[in-house]
Amino acid sequence: MTRYVINRIFLLIPIALGVTFIVFTIMNLTPSDPGRIMLGEMADREAVSQLNRELGFYDPFFVRYFNYVAGAVRLDFGVSFRSGRPVFEEIFLRFPNTLNLAFLAVICAAAVGIPLGILSAVKQYSHIDTVSRIISMLFAAAPVFFLGMMGIYIFSLRLQWLPAFGASTWEHFILPVITLSIPSAASLLRLTRSTMLETINQDYIRTARAKGASERRVIFRHALKNALLPIITILGMNFGFLLGGAILIENVFSIPGLGQLLVNSIRLMDIPQVMASTLFLALLFTLIILVVDLMYSFIDPRIKAKYSKIK
Amino acid sequence: MPRELMSIENLSVIYKTDLETVRAVNGVSITLEKGKTLGIVGETGAGKTTLALSLMRLLPKATGRITEGRVILQDQDLYKLSEIEMKSIRGNLVSMIFQDPMTSLNPIMKVGDQIAESLILHNDEKLTKEQISARVEETLTLVGIPPFRKNDYPHQFSGGMKQRVVIAIALACKPQLLIADEPTTALDVTIQAQVLSMMADLKEALDTAMIMITHDIGIVAQICDYVAVMYAGEIIEYGTIQDIFDHSREHHPYTVGLFGSIPDLKHKTRRLSPIDGLMPDPTMLPRGCAFSPRCPKCEPLCKDQKPPDRDNNGHRIRCYFVGGAQ
Ligand SMILES: Nc1ncnc2c1ncn2[C@@H]1O[C@H](COP(=O)(O)OP(=O)(O)O)[C@@H](O)[C@H]1O
Ligand SMILES: [Mg+2]
Repeated sequence: MTRYVINRIFLLIPIALGVTFIVFTIMNLTPSDPGRIMLGEMADREAVSQLNRELGFYDPFFVRYFNYVAGAVRLDFGVSFRSGRPVFEEIFLRFPNTLNLAFLAVICAAAVGIPLGILSAVKQYSHIDTVSRIISMLFAAAPVFFLGMMGIYIFSLRLQWLPAFGASTWEHFILPVITLSIPSAASLLRLTRSTMLETINQDYIRTARAKGASERRVIFRHALKNALLPIITILGMNFGFLLGGAILIENVFSIPGLGQLLVNSIRLMDIPQVMASTLFLALLFTLIILVVDLMYSFIDPRIKAKYSKIK
Repeated sequence: MPRELMSIENLSVIYKTDLETVRAVNGVSITLEKGKTLGIVGETGAGKTTLALSLMRLLPKATGRITEGRVILQDQDLYKLSEIEMKSIRGNLVSMIFQDPMTSLNPIMKVGDQIAESLILHNDEKLTKEQISARVEETLTLVGIPPFRKNDYPHQFSGGMKQRVVIAIALACKPQLLIADEPTTALDVTIQAQVLSMMADLKEALDTAMIMITHDIGIVAQICDYVAVMYAGEIIEYGTIQDIFDHSREHHPYTVGLFGSIPDLKHKTRRLSPIDGLMPDPTMLPRGCAFSPRCPKCEPLCKDQKPPDRDNNGHRIRCYFVGGAQ
């Protein structure tokens, strides 16, 4: 088991190399001028090219990538062209906002999506089932920024119940969190429903019924626990997606988070900041998936056995 | 005096979907005595599983319907009981073993806990935790599994061992009736024999009546007291094992075809031999005798009207031309 975890953590290295290489390539496909960004529009051309030379910007592509990786190995990811501060300082300044947003959104989505999904499955073909299926279908497909703008229009502009922009109080988080959680809740509902239905039709559920177990016991003790595996996967994936996917929401609601940082850095061609932000998100996502995988083994003895055999 | 345990009276079951109505069981009547074994034989699709599930009231809720008939178990009409009363019968008075042991156990529960669950659900004797745990070990020993394996999960067992666990679950509460739906079909031949002889021994030891659903004539010959031959949802022949395996007696044309030449009880038996043609589509059953389209002895009368049961001292045959008192 420990061995397995260590192996998985070592896998982060090729992932990091892959991600940085791809982002580095993409960023280099677009013409940019870091010296100009750092010194401003008024600076003279000589100073700008002097700075670019110092930054190694005129070196060949692979030399620059190698230098980047060499720096990264020493945990030197460079400074933001825009602010001049170390890139990870910028990231950690904003990350708590994004984390809050994603975490609360996942909780909301789970709290709504999973119980409704179970209910929908247990009462298949009932009115509750039909209604929640239709609503979830609509919301799973609704774009987040549209939901966000509708939310701002109704609850901030019209009703004036909630603030629309910023992140200074907890009330600022209500609209973004709800908006962000709606599509997740909808997809979670659909997934919970289908896995529950599939599980309920398994033979061992019939065995449980034949033992004289009550319907409640059959659903919660036997079916739900078995259906939990795919639900947890989707929950973990959602968390990962929401971390990055908060990009749109952070921009709609002007929340200073990682998403907003990433978008602004791309717009300004702030290469070190873009590199570090995407790398951070990618590694975080991979770690979340690892945690989800490990949670499996606590639920399912078959998977635990498989991990132990890798030893 | 016959010690009657269960009587099934004119039972009919359908599966109703938006598209069609499947007539899976059509007017089945059988009685079962305490401690005896009834074999139900028939081809796939004859309605054997459906019959078994309706005895437990475990038909799929969305589609399965009991359209007529009664099932009386020890003077209780099962179809008049509430779901709560029925729950206390399932796994306690009547247990069921399903066909596929590979999928019949909950993959994420220890086998010991799965056996204990039956005991906890029907804890009429107010057993303590320790007593239940002792009973679990006892039951495991009974089915030939070392008790220390109670903390293992199903994936750690072979197919035959899994079926033993399934049997242990079914027998944990010492039921009056055990319904076994093709319990050995999914197992290797060598394992089949072991599991079967174990079941026969346990049945003897616990004085449990059994309904053994199978399409293996060998199994019938080995452990059954009575045999019912099922075809298109009907019992077309019923009798004691001696009646059914007696060469000198008349048999339903389907039984004759099913058994090929009926093997001698003393000799090695074999699997059912297929008969030309297919079973009628259960959504469109023929008006007359269900077997008439395949029957070598078919007459115009057979296609027109359902034949009656002809009874010869309890050996019943549903045909115009064979059976009845000679
Ligand atoms: N859930 C179901 N819905 C619709 N038809 C079914 C269902 N289960 C079984 N049937 C049909 O009922 C008939 C009897 O099936 P079954 O009782 O499983 O037969 P057997 O156990 O003898 O093979 C078959 O025609 C089968 O297709
Ligand atoms: Mg069957």
